[in-house]
Amino acid sequence: MNLGAALATAGKRVILVDADIGLRNLDLVLGLEKRIVVDLVEVAEGRCQLRQALIRDKRFPALSLLPASQTRDKDAVTQEQFAAIVDQAAEAADYVLVDSPAGIEGGFRNAIAGATEAIVVTTPEVSAIRDADRVVGKLSDRALPIRLIVNRLRPEMVHTGDMLSVEDVCEVLGVELLGVIPDDEEIIDTTNRGEPLVLDDSKRLAAIFHKIVRRLEGEIVPFTRFGNGYRHGLLGRLFAGLTTG
Amino acid sequence: MHALTHTATATEPAVTRGETTKLGRAIVVTSGKGGVGKTTTTANLGTALAQRGARVALVDADIGLRNLDILLGLENRVQYHVLDVLDENASLDDALVADKHSDGLYLLAAAQSREKEEVDTEKMRALVASLRERFDYVIIDSPAGIEKGFKNAVAGAQEAIVVCTPEVSAVRDVDRVVGLLGNRFRPQLVINRVRPQLVKKGTMLSVEDVDAFLRLPLLGVIADEPQIIVTTNRGEPLALSRDGQTANAYHAIAARIAGEDVPAPRVEMPKPTLFERLFRGGRA
Repeated sequence: MNLGAALATAGKRVILVDADIGLRNLDLVLGLEKRIVVDLVEVAEGRCQLRQALIRDKRFPALSLLPASQTRDKDAVTQEQFAAIVDQAAEAADYVLVDSPAGIEGGFRNAIAGATEAIVVTTPEVSAIRDADRVVGKLSDRALPIRLIVNRLRPEMVHTGDMLSVEDVCEVLGVELLGVIPDDEEIIDTTNRGEPLVLDDSKRLAAIFHKIVRRLEGEIVPFTRFGNGYRHGLLGRLFAGLTTG
Repeated sequence: MHALTHTATATEPAVTRGETTKLGRAIVVTSGKGGVGKTTTTANLGTALAQRGARVALVDADIGLRNLDILLGLENRVQYHVLDVLDENASLDDALVADKHSDGLYLLAAAQSREKEEVDTEKMRALVASLRERFDYVIIDSPAGIEKGFKNAVAGAQEAIVVCTPEVSAVRDVDRVVGLLGNRFRPQLVINRVRPQLVKKGTMLSVEDVDAFLRLPLLGVIADEPQIIVTTNRGEPLALSRDGQTANAYHAIAARIAGEDVPAPRVEMPKPTLFERLFRGGRA
């Protein structure tokens, strides 16, 4: 959601596809849930056109959402139908971001069916990394280029040795790093309110998503160093300029 | 086949239960959304129940993405898994791994290199039924989602625990899962990863908000604390100790499951800071 919004802010035409049929959420975190009329399953079944199902985000004219169906099963759509929808979306956009469901079942296979690249998101926890490793293996079987986002990093816990570092995670997974997102209350707050945080440049994390966009565009952008001083409190914010620049 | 991996004394209690007639309770732990803490809840609840003297089998139903073995620190001791038992390549006695820390606690691990679609739902139901003959509690850790893996995990259970974080997306997924479970499982709710500071600031949904939306019996509220991540990585469930709010919250959940009358779950809200006391509340 935030990556899509950041891409749109950078002037790219973006279509977000929610592949989590039956457990959709992308509409909710974008605040678009009340505007859904038709969904992905109806497009797959040929009951409406793709452009009829796309919901344009008024805050980002270049961003649209193809919502998942909430009342259907993952097997309501075949991999071929899914790939065809993503192909069609790719003709109308610079980026098509497909939000995969959790797990490695049919819904996951659908989500990667039409993709040409993959972003794997993990947290720096042993259990999440093992899952990510399994997913990386599955994606490699399809010869998809893979890049990694390490999410929910708590720099102060890395500092005390209670959390794996980004370097540790990259070493285990052997995948190119695309971005590091610290565990920050801004994410919880903005997703609950349905407002992508890149809308507000004063947000600490906005700069991080903008950097990820530049890396996706092929630029080499140095990674933010999260010092031990990255904190959520007043003191942390005073020093934020030093640590998140 | 016997005593390949365990000594006779280690396997024996798993086979014979005190009163043979009464079947144990099979409880599935599920959520819809991934990463909300199903496996952490399963490991800690199993530990807390075992510490009360109950005989507990934990079943990892997340075939292909197993994790329960890591959280219990048993990953090196797993020799056989659920599919070995279902395919009759191993007996239950051989596949059940005795926990390192808690007497009476056993793990049946998931297969890492197999697919959920390989599991036969009826066989899974039969497996849980035979575990119920040997254990007081069979706790099944469901995979995320609502696909085949979820349906298999639910197959043999009579009760459900749904785990939710105070986020609108997780709440919506739980609402959907409760609908899919139907009327059979009497789902009870665990609200996980509550950050009292954020609730106080109004940036996070409160326990009351979640409760008002889902209207489920509340089994427990777990605060988001770094210690959970530390103990998870270390393979030692937090509920091994009785120190601290979170460990005690797990023990209270176990007591509630066991039918004890325990005071309603709550999370200690942060005390007003000096600032807030000076300005009489501020934003709070």
